Amino acid sequence: MAKGRIDGQKAFVLHAHPYSETSLIVDVFSREQGRLPLLARGARRPRSVLRGNLMAFAPLELGWFGTGEVKTLAKAEWLGGISLLTGRCLLLGYYLNELLVKLLPRDDAHPQLFDAYEDALRALSSGAEDAPELRRFEQTLLKELGYGLTLDVDARSGARVVDDREYVFWIERGPVERDDGDDTASVSGKTLLDMVADDYSDARTRFESKGLMRQLIAHHLSGRPLHSRRVFVELQEL
Amino acid sequence: MIAPGGKFPSTSSLEALIDALRCLPGVGPKSAQRMTYHLLQRDRAGAERLAQALQTALASLRHCLRCNNFTESEICQRCASSRRDQSLLCIVEMPVDAISMEETHAYQGLYYVLMGRLSPLDGIGPKELAFERLFARATDGLVNEVILATNFTNEGEATAHYLSELLRARGLKVSRIARGLPVGGELEFSDAATVAQALMERRDYG
Ligand SMILES: [Zn+2]
Repeated sequence: MAKGRIDGQKAFVLHAHPYSETSLIVDVFSREQGRLPLLARGARRPRSVLRGNLMAFAPLELGWFGTGEVKTLAKAEWLGGISLLTGRCLLLGYYLNELLVKLLPRDDAHPQLFDAYEDALRALSSGAEDAPELRRFEQTLLKELGYGLTLDVDARSGARVVDDREYVFWIERGPVERDDGDDTASVSGKTLLDMVADDYSDARTRFESKGLMRQLIAHHLSGRPLHSRRVFVELQEL
Repeated sequence: MIAPGGKFPSTSSLEALIDALRCLPGVGPKSAQRMTYHLLQRDRAGAERLAQALQTALASLRHCLRCNNFTESEICQRCASSRRDQSLLCIVEMPVDAISMEETHAYQGLYYVLMGRLSPLDGIGPKELAFERLFARATDGLVNEVILATNFTNEGEATAHYLSELLRARGLKVSRIARGLPVGGELEFSDAATVAQALMERRDYG
């Protein structure tokens, strides 16, 4: 058996780029080993078995070996169960992948985040552009990165958030009840409480939580732009 | 070697050549060095030809105004041909894809070569691919139907989806090449993804 051989890893391909004339470096997110780069030897040869299997958004079972920073992919099997993403949902899939590529450090296992990612992809594959699973994925991502979110306590007064009041979100602190006359963008107390209760049945909750998560994620990207987001917006504008 | 002050000393022509070869896809420092020594030591005539050919190509090739493929004139031979069906426009990612289509001898229409595909994670969007140029060509009044022949990868699918929406909105008939098992293909020997997709895209039969 080859050195450092690992088999039977459930994983997704996040991104791939060409390496030498015939190979690929694949950025994968595995359930048990986290995010890591793998060298897929010969994956760009015309009749490579790996070629068709290493597609993003498809659940895969991978095996690899090696002891260096970049391990060598030994096996990639297609598990199925999530049909290929199409249309706008496909673009949202790229958004999820870009968040993982840009925010998730390598070589740390995040099984909960992996499950949230898989759930989000499954929702996207059924055509749900505005699915709660997307917000759950974003929340889990921030939580796993160590940015815990307290949404149901007023960060200034320490009081419980009240559903019919308006709140301004202070980054890295939490929601603060909006002062009279303040016209900063706000979220309703109900949205915050719904997010804690994981209840996305209200259209306003879905809309406001999306905006809030976008704002928080932008903060954690510290100014790095999301290409997938820009491309998405440019396509909508045509 | 880095000179004091942090600036690179002026590179010798040898280093300059090694460095220049690294612009080729998949060529790292080691391959570039090997190529350089090969050209200089073993094949100087080949090196001369390469230099000439590069210079000529750079000076004379441009994008065809109609199909965006490389050509030496304003409009390439294929686009200028009276034997091609002007009402059909097949959109492909790369020039090699147009060659594959031509090899079928089953297509008489014209092409548009995107020179790429949407690749959101790499920042390749509609601006980078000059979608506006394609729209101008597709709506010049000659084209009736657009055939989307981008690859069946995620990127190719994303490209096809958006082009389909945007071209339909501009009044064009849009179709997509079909996918499935290869001719002579047997289920037993096909990969699961292909079989799954063929099942999804099954059609009325008989
Ligand atoms: Zn042409």
